[in-house]
Amino acid sequence: MDDHDGLDSRTWLLWGAAASVPLITGRHPVLLAELLLIVLAVRSVCTPPERRAGWGWLVRLGALAVPIGVLFNMFTVHAGDTRLFRVSDDLPLFGGTVTLNAAVYGLLSGLTVVALVAIGTTVAALIDWSALMRLVPPRAASIAVAGSVAWAFLPQLSTSWREIREAQTARGHRWRGARDAIPLIVPLMAGGLDRSVTMAEALEARGFGGTAPAGRRSAWPPAALGAALTMAVVGIYLFAVGRSLGAAGAILVAGVVALVGVRGGGPTAGIRSTRYRETVWTRADWLVCGGALTALVATVVTLQLQPEALRYEPYPSLDWPVTSPLLVLLLALLMVPAVVAPTGPAGRHT
Amino acid sequence: MIRQLERDGASSSLASLVDVTYRYPDATVPSIDHCSWEIGAGEMLLVAGASGSGKSTLLRTLNGLVPHFSGGRFGGSVVVCGDSTRANGPNRMSRHVGFVFQDPEAQVLGSRVDEDIAFSLEQRGVPRTAMRKRVEELLDLLAIAPLRHRDPRTLSGGERQRVAIAGALALHPQLLVLDEPTSQLDPWGAEDVLASLSRLNEDLGLTIVIAEHRMERLLHRVDAVRWVEPGGARGVDLAPRDFARTVEPIVLPAVSRLGVGFGWQPVPLTVKEARRHAARVSLPSSRPIRRSAPGGVVMRTRGIGMRHGSRWILRGVDLDLRQGELVALIGRNGSGKTTLLRTLLGHHPLGEGAVEIMGLVPGTKDPAGIGRSVGYLPQQPTAMLFAERVRDEILYTARQRGVEVDPDVMLAMVGLDGLGDRHPRDLSGGEQERLALAIMLTGKPCALLLDEPTRGMDAWRKDQLIRILDDYRRDGGAVLMATHDVELIAGSADRVVMLGDGEVIADGPPEHVLGGSLTFTTQTQLVFGDEWLTPGQVLDAVRSRATTSPATWLETSAGDDVRCSDRE
Repeated sequence: MDDHDGLDSRTWLLWGAAASVPLITGRHPVLLAELLLIVLAVRSVCTPPERRAGWGWLVRLGALAVPIGVLFNMFTVHAGDTRLFRVSDDLPLFGGTVTLNAAVYGLLSGLTVVALVAIGTTVAALIDWSALMRLVPPRAASIAVAGSVAWAFLPQLSTSWREIREAQTARGHRWRGARDAIPLIVPLMAGGLDRSVTMAEALEARGFGGTAPAGRRSAWPPAALGAALTMAVVGIYLFAVGRSLGAAGAILVAGVVALVGVRGGGPTAGIRSTRYRETVWTRADWLVCGGALTALVATVVTLQLQPEALRYEPYPSLDWPVTSPLLVLLLALLMVPAVVAPTGPAGRHT
Repeated sequence: MIRQLERDGASSSLASLVDVTYRYPDATVPSIDHCSWEIGAGEMLLVAGASGSGKSTLLRTLNGLVPHFSGGRFGGSVVVCGDSTRANGPNRMSRHVGFVFQDPEAQVLGSRVDEDIAFSLEQRGVPRTAMRKRVEELLDLLAIAPLRHRDPRTLSGGERQRVAIAGALALHPQLLVLDEPTSQLDPWGAEDVLASLSRLNEDLGLTIVIAEHRMERLLHRVDAVRWVEPGGARGVDLAPRDFARTVEPIVLPAVSRLGVGFGWQPVPLTVKEARRHAARVSLPSSRPIRRSAPGGVVMRTRGIGMRHGSRWILRGVDLDLRQGELVALIGRNGSGKTTLLRTLLGHHPLGEGAVEIMGLVPGTKDPAGIGRSVGYLPQQPTAMLFAERVRDEILYTARQRGVEVDPDVMLAMVGLDGLGDRHPRDLSGGEQERLALAIMLTGKPCALLLDEPTRGMDAWRKDQLIRILDDYRRDGGAVLMATHDVELIAGSADRVVMLGDGEVIADGPPEHVLGGSLTFTTQTQLVFGDEWLTPGQVLDAVRSRATTSPATWLETSAGDDVRCSDRE
């Protein structure tokens, strides 16, 4: 019996959200370093060997994202009190004083990109997409079809990319400029779409979404889902501009509306799907979710009460960041998966 | 004369197509043109025909994917188990029709084999107890119970396709439709799948409709063949032996081609049947072997090795490829064929040993430099097409390789005259493959590496490919071709290199490497012995002996009509 012993996929999604929110909110160097260390630790301890992608690509991403972030910021943002040198004003956009402040902000931006990608790929390696898809109610079948098509599109892109690159290299293709991307990008997109269509056909042919009787579908669930999506976007906007309580309210409303939309019962409901294996919510899931929720709440509360503890601004002067020890401590709860679920992918089942 | 299959009156109709006409969106001609078809309960039917003749479209009408999923204009009616596909889409038709697609990878819906099989049952709300029972039955039926906890993505192609069949059967459909299910499998994987299908048909009475090009393992298993005419998907159902008598021999298995050539009655469909007839044929003890004299060495490897972690993927590979030579690279899936080709091109770092291609060392220069000397056709050659016009694809390659060519001459070489202004993605699958070959031949590279070039190809396209490669070799080109297609190798290769677990385990002429093998042997070898690789060789030998001493070469029974077929 080789059942997986990892956490439920929903637990990993919550963990990923809790780890991402402080990074999306601001570029605080202490929190960035802490979260980067946490995600690397969880990644190395929790990802099963067959899904480990190694560290080389992450190092390469860092080697690309950090210099780009630093250089772009240095030469486009001419603010800050720690001056390094000056570029002639004759150069449009780049001309002006180059400051250490801008370089630091660029460095933090580059590292934030690396940390967010590390969180995303870690969650992607640990969740069980098919288990998640099974949790989608019949009313949201079309959304799940779209999601599964997108999911099928993504992992095969890297394989296709390698094959296309090798085939084009055999034609003598070389990188000399942006135009040389066309022979790679066009076949990549066309092939990916072909495969996604096949996946969608397979889903349809195997009865995905149950069999709600034709002609009895109500128009309001899609409208409710649309409204929920709108509220979610509003919530993200409010969060981004620092209105965290308003954001929390909007996202709560979005969740309730979406739930009502997809769960709406009555005569228009389709066949209720069953599960081959029941997912088991374990003590480890409770612990990880508890840690993630605590970290999430701490982030939202800190954003409301002490935003400078999340948002670091090296402008106009390069000061040591204001740090909230309590927030640092509570974010450390995101390390719980490494302690309670040291191996195995998602989906503990009976 | 073509005689339509006369069905047993007892066999009731399970599905019927009445005057079906279908045209894809934006298409100018219909893919199915006034097609009527009755499928009897319990039958196993083969749908055959050239690529692009409309086989897949015809199959997709049976569960409503056409037109519900594909759109387009649909006329006529398709009724399966009393339900019309006009009123019921593929989702609802899945109660009656299980559908298995060509690509085993593209239809995996679960993270474990048993979950994947249960997918449709979950969607239908089947109670868990009943669901578990049905999954157990299907695991046993398809002989995949030991794989139940595995991730389907880690299975071999044949195993994955059997999982897909189990998944398609989960709702107990009366009709199972399979669209070229073995086209991407090695011979052993294909045999596993087809044996499972025979068992389902014979033991459980499941009605099966299967579209396939590779008939050597299938023709004797089916009740009838529907030959689909290009451009219309009309055609008639024929009993397999009638089909073998009436169709162009090129599409038949080697034993049936021998039967047609010798006029054996009934036309054999299996090696066993052919052996009975062959006992009366007297052949020379040895065959004159005409092999082209190879030229200088184009590519040389010495002791190359590559490892992934602690496992050797390639080890101690010595290989010479000479001008004018076609070398076939064979071996099970995972034996290292593709890795060897990619290593030769410098896409894999070399662990040990040395490779030299016309004085260039892959990996030390940019791979594009090797690409100008060596053409490489990957498993999906059409993936490289990106330009707006067919002609531009050739011109782009010429620019990259620093040569000047006339695109029309290159296109004529592969039979694509007059198509230079078309969009590459508007070409048919076969035309796209020939375009990919023309691209790779642009600038006359000294060697051509081909990775499974005949996967999913019909017989005519294979024949065309070999003709193009013959022309290329006559001009001094060398070909290294990784393939599972033993019959193709027998008819075209000068030398065969067999890989096993990353090592060369045999290297020599086809009759030596393929001969005596339990798995890599042609049907002709199984009938006439290791020396005789193809029906053409046997028939040629008979023909030449006939001109010298007609009384001795063949002991025919009365009524046997000997036709040393020109169709070979």
